[in-house]
Amino acid sequence: MVRNTGGIRVDNLTKKYGDLVALNNVSLTVEDGEVVGLIGPNGAGKSTLMKIIVGILKPTSGTVSVGGHDVVNEPEKAKRVMGYLPENPSLYTALTVREFLRFVGKIREVSDDVLDSRISESLRSFALADKADSLVGALSKGMKQKVALTAAILHDPEILILDEPQTALDPKTQAFVIGWIASQGRSGKTVLLSTHNLEVVQDYATRIVIIDRGSVIASGGLESLRRLADTKSDARLVEVFLKLTEGS
Amino acid sequence: MSWSTSWRDVAILFRYWIKGRITKATLIWILLGEGFSVALVAFVGGSFISFSASFGLGGGFSGFALDLVFAFILIGLLQSGFSGSGLPVTSADVDYVFTSPVKPRDIFAAKVLLNSLTTMLFSFPPMLVLYLMLSRFYGEPASVAVLAGLTTLAFLVTGLVLSADVTVSLGSSIGPRLKPLRNLLVGLVAVISILPVTLLIPGAPAALSSVTQVLPSGLTADICIALVSGGPWNLSLAVDAILLFVWFVGLLLLGIRMSRGHFYEVLQVTDAGADEIPRGGNATTLLKTAGESVWSVVRMKEGILMKRTKERRGLLVSALFLSGFMVIYSLAGTFQSSPTSFLFVLFIIGSFGSGTASGWLEKERLWIIKTSPLDMRKYIRAVYRARVAPLLLVLTPVTIAVGIPLIAERLAQPGSLIGIALALPVALEVAAVMMGGGMYFAAGYGQSTTDDILTSQAQQMADVKRFLYQTVINLVLVSPLFGLVLGAGSQLPLISLIPVIPLGVLMLGVSLVYSYAILAKLLDASGDSIRRREDL
Repeated sequence: MVRNTGGIRVDNLTKKYGDLVALNNVSLTVEDGEVVGLIGPNGAGKSTLMKIIVGILKPTSGTVSVGGHDVVNEPEKAKRVMGYLPENPSLYTALTVREFLRFVGKIREVSDDVLDSRISESLRSFALADKADSLVGALSKGMKQKVALTAAILHDPEILILDEPQTALDPKTQAFVIGWIASQGRSGKTVLLSTHNLEVVQDYATRIVIIDRGSVIASGGLESLRRLADTKSDARLVEVFLKLTEGS
Repeated sequence: MSWSTSWRDVAILFRYWIKGRITKATLIWILLGEGFSVALVAFVGGSFISFSASFGLGGGFSGFALDLVFAFILIGLLQSGFSGSGLPVTSADVDYVFTSPVKPRDIFAAKVLLNSLTTMLFSFPPMLVLYLMLSRFYGEPASVAVLAGLTTLAFLVTGLVLSADVTVSLGSSIGPRLKPLRNLLVGLVAVISILPVTLLIPGAPAALSSVTQVLPSGLTADICIALVSGGPWNLSLAVDAILLFVWFVGLLLLGIRMSRGHFYEVLQVTDAGADEIPRGGNATTLLKTAGESVWSVVRMKEGILMKRTKERRGLLVSALFLSGFMVIYSLAGTFQSSPTSFLFVLFIIGSFGSGTASGWLEKERLWIIKTSPLDMRKYIRAVYRARVAPLLLVLTPVTIAVGIPLIAERLAQPGSLIGIALALPVALEVAAVMMGGGMYFAAGYGQSTTDDILTSQAQQMADVKRFLYQTVINLVLVSPLFGLVLGAGSQLPLISLIPVIPLGVLMLGVSLVYSYAILAKLLDASGDSIRRREDL
């Protein structure tokens, strides 16, 4: 069931690092319940955009709101409604999995009544129940990624920002993560997903945004992107993507 | 494959490692490190000489002390050998050197050569300072100090080879049958090394301590003390020198022999690329959240991290060493002779706070905090509280160790007592403020990401600048506290008009208010720095 939160709204967003323009007047929206695939070549500005949305970076100009809250003026309110998975999540390696999740749950304001049960439930669904007392540093990369995903949803956010969630994972864990993303979409969560895996975007995203050299160059469903790229009606997303980003 | 190929490979590796290590930043670090070591040795050496003079102890005591110092160095090297750090390697070595067709023996030789050279460069200046002080104390020429320094270098290089041998022996080149024998031998060396301690036990036979003379540590101490104290250069000392040389050659040949086989898997990677993954897979879950406030959970988390990364243990061990040193310093009478020595106490104890702060940095984990709705200023305050508590807990016995004999001695002179009585709590305040300063710089300028935003050289330079700014600004921040202590000890007419106890309470109150105000500013600024940071 889709809840009315206001989704994600990015208006005329620009981000500069000195003379370097990382994002140039970017505007996009992710409506409630949508799964939007954000794709683009390396260095296009995808991670920068996501980091601004989650409040790690500050925009040079423009506005971003999440769940109806401006991320610059009301950062705490915006952060309460979203969960974030960074591209390379670094975790506290000297904490056990349960300690790490308890800490994250507490700082994300999960009430004591439900925190432990929610952790146990998440660990079970991520097949990590037997790792609860393992030190995070002793886990494999795939398991750490699962812990980071668990941490992202522990406070039951309506909006998920996922930056390359499948990076460097083995096929089994990749399949698990893809299935998990699909289930989030089905359960009515709003998802902004950045990935280089165009198959996943084609299969699970309700809408696709292509970003290149700091600007949004295309946005819409696969059909409309095919028309924009002037490709065949059954062209795969990878073909459309290569056509639209030619020369970058 | 010939010897010439081996020499060529060793030379290439040696040149590559030197070029890879020596940057502008590392040169500055080396100079800073050398300066610090020389200053420290001058203080320690001065205290030792004052102590020996105060208690009428002669060359025998100096020999015993030097023997102990060398024995501890030898034990440290053995310990490092067993932990796989006898041949320190970086992740670049693992990726490129170990996968190249260079023979393990050549890599062993190049590593030993590099370690020996860097150790000589680092160690010679402070050692020379120490021996110059000792030779001056015994009225001997400076040339003997140089000779003693060179002998000590020979000992250190021998110790490094021993450490490398132990590490290499952990690999497959020693069969399982011989491993217990090796462990027994190394254990024996460790036991013999600390035998000079028996001199402290009343009634223990003096001959027991001389057993240590078969080890490189005992031989070196014998030669060096004979040189600087003007002892006769006799056959026994010549035998000592020959034995030291035999140790070196024997251990080197043993290492070369053992390193013919593959030993890479036992080596510890030392650079930052290796995460601080704690040993062992499981741990008892200590963090409890039920009924706790978020800030209490933050403090708990910080405490658990300090415990599991052995930071707390390191703090305790360092504090024990500091206490011992302070007691010797106090017994040497240096405090009584110079009021500025209080500043030294304040500085040394305070620098502990600054050093401890450098252990804190969320680094690439800042995203966890920054994407939460936490107030960064409050978060930093909670982290600070968690980290300052164990610091003050271990430093309190240090200040007591220094304070009790001093206060007892000054009870009859209330005027000068107040300076000492104030110096001791203020030392803790200085440590607390310097820790706040360290956290401010770590929050604002410490590396927070694994991405290559700064090149490693630029990051090293940034670290150098941060260290220098941190030191200078910390000293500026605590200088009013230094001034207060000096003022209290100066016995100015105005001070002498006020009764001692109310005056002491007033001055302590002033220092506490100042420390609190400065800390509040520093911690708020740290929180704001983290909020503003964009390099993650």
